[in-house]
Amino acid sequence: MNAIETIDLTKRYGKRLAVDHLNLTVSKGEVFGFLGPNGAGKTTTIAMLLGLVRPTKGQAIVLGHDVQREPALALRRVGAMIEAPAFYPYLSGADNLRVLARAGGIPAARVKEVLETVELNDRARDKVATYSQGMKQRLAIAAALLPDPELIMLDEPTNGLDPAGTVEIRNLIRSLAAGGRTILLCSHLLHEVEQLCNRVAILKEGKLIAAGEVATLLRRGQGVRLRVQGNPEPAVHLLRTLPWVSGVTVQEEAIIIDAPVERAAEINALLIRADIVVAEIGANHSSLEEFFLTVTKTE
Amino acid sequence: MDTRKMFTNLLAAEWLKISRRPMALLLLGIFLFLTFLQQTLWFLVVALQEGTFSGGQVTFNLLSPAAIEQIKRQLSLPGVFGAMLSAINGTGGILAIILTAGIFGSDFNWGTLRILLTRAPHRGAYLLAKLVALQLALLVATVITLVIGAMLALLFGTLLGLPQQIGIIDLLLLPIGILRALIVMLPYTLIAGASAIVGRSVIAGVGGGLIFLAFDVSAGSLNTIGAVDPTIRALVNLLLQPNINRLVVENSRMFGLDQSVLTAALDLSLLPPQWQALIVIAVYSAIFGYSAYRTLNRQDIGGAN
Repeated sequence: MNAIETIDLTKRYGKRLAVDHLNLTVSKGEVFGFLGPNGAGKTTTIAMLLGLVRPTKGQAIVLGHDVQREPALALRRVGAMIEAPAFYPYLSGADNLRVLARAGGIPAARVKEVLETVELNDRARDKVATYSQGMKQRLAIAAALLPDPELIMLDEPTNGLDPAGTVEIRNLIRSLAAGGRTILLCSHLLHEVEQLCNRVAILKEGKLIAAGEVATLLRRGQGVRLRVQGNPEPAVHLLRTLPWVSGVTVQEEAIIIDAPVERAAEINALLIRADIVVAEIGANHSSLEEFFLTVTKTE
Repeated sequence: MDTRKMFTNLLAAEWLKISRRPMALLLLGIFLFLTFLQQTLWFLVVALQEGTFSGGQVTFNLLSPAAIEQIKRQLSLPGVFGAMLSAINGTGGILAIILTAGIFGSDFNWGTLRILLTRAPHRGAYLLAKLVALQLALLVATVITLVIGAMLALLFGTLLGLPQQIGIIDLLLLPIGILRALIVMLPYTLIAGASAIVGRSVIAGVGGGLIFLAFDVSAGSLNTIGAVDPTIRALVNLLLQPNINRLVVENSRMFGLDQSVLTAALDLSLLPPQWQALIVIAVYSAIFGYSAYRTLNRQDIGGAN
């Protein structure tokens, strides 16, 4: 069974289409990266998955239940952290969690457990107003963990954190993922997503522009990288004439060819026949960040 | 989880929030201080008029004998209960509007609404739990006010040599008086809550509640033209204020007070009957409550304001 399924999920605000016929599936146990530039519709999608925003059209199914029709069943085992952490500043961290535990009919004992998980026990009795951003972020994750969730949605969990805080949260997400929970992760830190996620989806202007396993997408973004002895111009000129090459660029004396890696030997032979000496040839490994920038810029 | 269970859970959560809220304690403190000032003023007026401080040597003619008699009743048991309930529906009503706006609006201001609705997604249950928790808080505040008011009355009444008599009937009547006081505040708290939801903020709630109160009190002055014609009187009595006045007057009467002695403009004969007052207040409350529910139910819930 899928943890999340959206069918033609659409949200329109006046003339602006925030989410445009989104069809997405997240399998159980998966760590899924949900990416996109600011304003791409990620948070609106998450808000629709949580029943906070009503879709204009389409359906959001969470843990097998339609969020609009059966919100209580759909969200019973879902934990979420959306955008900035939100708490009652006059209450302590523990009391904030108690409010949420009471509201959700969750045993009070869970409060202590989740505070231990995020290592906030020492400051649990202090008012949230006195917490640092990192502590608030951790408390928000603790709140998401309260219902012992099968599915956790984390929207920019490392926003506003210093490098140490970012590492802390990343490790926490890793340990949650290791526990077999499904995690939907929205983050601008693509290096983090690349490390943590099995699959990703990229949204732009409300539309799904790429989705799949991280490794597959990166292969899609791969090309051939080579160096030649002497002036690279003749080689570039020759390579641009090939029908299966979609682009050739020169970066720091290396030639980057947008072509399948499998064609590397063919490229090598071609250049040799043209009396161009190839000093080095191999796959051009792209990062998720490069792939993200490419697809969000061009598509 | 069924809606009833969700309501009970949310009520427990709302009670935890309200009972720890500094704003609630501050508003109660302000109200109790104003109550103390009011009773002190009554005490001084009676003491000066009757020369209590000079052993009857120096007296001032500040008010009519009937008015002084009325104030004396307000400083004695059980009359003080009527006076306190009247104060609760006066100044206390304004503070209740501010508290309601705070309770309903801050979930929008702080962005906590989205977290709560993720845990308990039935918005009607959320709204009802908030309203019930608020009424419970107002009930507690009313009881505290009555106890402190009675203690002050015992103090001042003893200094003035006033008789203090309280029977079992008076104590049995107290819950009815408290219930009436809460009913009187209900439409104002609901309009403040609805305004906070529509405007998604505390400020909108305070503004909406106080503007309505000002409008309502002004419209209530139309009561005087009701004396001209029975049809006009019937129409004026469909406004909230005359019906509110009826319940407040009934509360005073129940504990032996006559509000028209101190409020000359109040013509009791023009006020609607109590049954009509209850129906009109229920209708206004239902309209405001439904508006709040309908608005919340259709809203997309975003982040903090």
